[in-house]
Amino acid sequence: MIEILYGLLIGFVPAMIRSATPLLWALLGETITQRAGIINLGTEGQMLVGAATAFGVAANTNNPWLGLASGALAGSALSIGHAVLCLRYRANQFASGLSVWMIGFGLSAYLGSSFVGQSIDGFAPLSAVLGVSIPLLGDLTPTIVLAWLASALIAVFMDRTRPGLALRATGESPSAARTAGIPVTFVQTSAILAGGLLSGIGGAALSIDYAQTWAEGMSQGRGLVAVGLVIVARWSPLWAVPAALLFGAAEVMSLRMQAAGATVSAHLLHTLPYVVSLVVFM
Amino acid sequence: MRVQLTASGLGVRAVAAPPKQRRTFPRLRSRALNTSATTAIIFAAFSSAFFWAIGQSPIRLFAALYDGVLGSGFAFSETLVKAAPILLCSLATALPARVGLISVGGEGQLAIGAIGGTALVLSAGDRLGWLTLPAMLLSAALAGAAYGAVPGLLRAQLRVNETISTLLLNYIAAPCVDYLVYGRWKDPDSLGWPSTIAFPDAARLPTYFDTRIHLGLFLGLFAVLAAWFFATRTRSGLILDLLRSSPELMQRAGVSWARRTVVLLALGGACAGIAGIAEASVIEGRLQSGVGAGAGYSGFLVAFLARGRLLAILPCAWIVASLAAAGDNLQLSAGLPSSIVYVLQGFLFAAALIAQHRSAEAAA
Repeated sequence: MIEILYGLLIGFVPAMIRSATPLLWALLGETITQRAGIINLGTEGQMLVGAATAFGVAANTNNPWLGLASGALAGSALSIGHAVLCLRYRANQFASGLSVWMIGFGLSAYLGSSFVGQSIDGFAPLSAVLGVSIPLLGDLTPTIVLAWLASALIAVFMDRTRPGLALRATGESPSAARTAGIPVTFVQTSAILAGGLLSGIGGAALSIDYAQTWAEGMSQGRGLVAVGLVIVARWSPLWAVPAALLFGAAEVMSLRMQAAGATVSAHLLHTLPYVVSLVVFM
Repeated sequence: MRVQLTASGLGVRAVAAPPKQRRTFPRLRSRALNTSATTAIIFAAFSSAFFWAIGQSPIRLFAALYDGVLGSGFAFSETLVKAAPILLCSLATALPARVGLISVGGEGQLAIGAIGGTALVLSAGDRLGWLTLPAMLLSAALAGAAYGAVPGLLRAQLRVNETISTLLLNYIAAPCVDYLVYGRWKDPDSLGWPSTIAFPDAARLPTYFDTRIHLGLFLGLFAVLAAWFFATRTRSGLILDLLRSSPELMQRAGVSWARRTVVLLALGGACAGIAGIAEASVIEGRLQSGVGAGAGYSGFLVAFLARGRLLAILPCAWIVASLAAAGDNLQLSAGLPSSIVYVLQGFLFAAALIAQHRSAEAAA
């Protein structure tokens, strides 16, 4: 019993942080999008396209930074589809997001089919670059630290700047915002594209930093979980951090319990992050 | 027949319809045809552009599609085999849509239905004789209905968004199948292949015409026709229309939205559950990982293409099934990965959303 508990806890915090980071990027993106009054279920597809593109570029150029940038662009490019469907063609936001999800899933599987089974080195941990390591947090990688920075920056942007105010006003009441002279469609389009960019980074963080490989459908519902957790985090980029860590904790717990020889089946433990998401979503 | 609120505002009763205005029906129908044609053109443009971008000839796609729709007798029957679970799963979305809900839970309900039916087959063996088949279908329907009722209860009691909860439940259902076929239900003689033992003959759905077309297709046809009759020709069905268009008014008239939400999601789940056991019983002959292979999502697409006209599900399911068949064809002939089907389905979905907007604008 003690051994199982010890096996669960050793290195738990670093593992939780690593597993939460791809989701945190997607959560931040979806926070911006939802603050503008748009729900984007396409986040899942954008993460996948970001992950596949980033992995392909990183593997071919041996440069994870180039991979990260191209993943971000790919996610943003796919999100144009959502913007066009729900803003230009006034489609239902859930339906439009799901169509982007389907296209993204298929495109990423097509793009990624040639590098299934490959693996890359990814980013060097910061401790190796800077020569210092922080106790308890383990080996932090650039995507982790950048995600925390981004969450603080986005919080400042939304609460302390004029464009941030325009974004929130648009989400609160598009018609009032329009009366106040805010270009509503422009704001919403930018918010969707920013969400696509951040979820693309999330996908890239998943494939080149967390897993260091590519697998079809590898985001496994993280984009969907992000859409739900944004609401749990009360649309706050700062609360997004603990919300993502909660998912990370559930995922690490499910992996650790298998490794520690728990009697519950590994397959049932796989459902844990989704059950947790569903429960907090209530 | 037409439904009208009575003067007291408390009840709903049917009154005789006024004489029909002759022109509305043909105009409506031509608008529907127009939307379909626009959808087809936009879809053709998207997918041609995509095929051109990946260095394939778009002609290949249309040839494969033609083959699936009107080609040989074999290709035609295989399209119908693919259409069977899609038809049933489309009701998992189309029924809750009667009260304005967007459920994407067909995929998970299909998996849980397959588990429910398999549980009966494995525990009863062939002791039930000819009763095995109906008992298996019933067990699958009940399991699917129970799983469909969960998002219904969450929505009705806790106001949890049903689109997100049904999607999350899909991610919970798939590992449950894996848990069983890799674990306690695993056939020890399967040499590591994760699946249950083969179903006994008594638990195989009958097939017809020397093809793989099976009872599931006819159950699907019957379910769609029954849903259409219920929704458009009965009082309860018309109450749903009113509930969708003016929920507050109907709540005040004592019509429970919560109860209907749960019941419709459960009924849809029952249909998807039958689709799941049909796939396991006839197509695979056993329960294995990844049962259904996306039929739940295809069913969602079909329900959306049909846009609330339940009879339109029939042609839409046929088209989406031939798209899936064309995908198989392209995999063999052009060496394209099977994921192409998802791209094409996504394009079809986007094309339908654009076409529906255009036709709504033209009508205004």
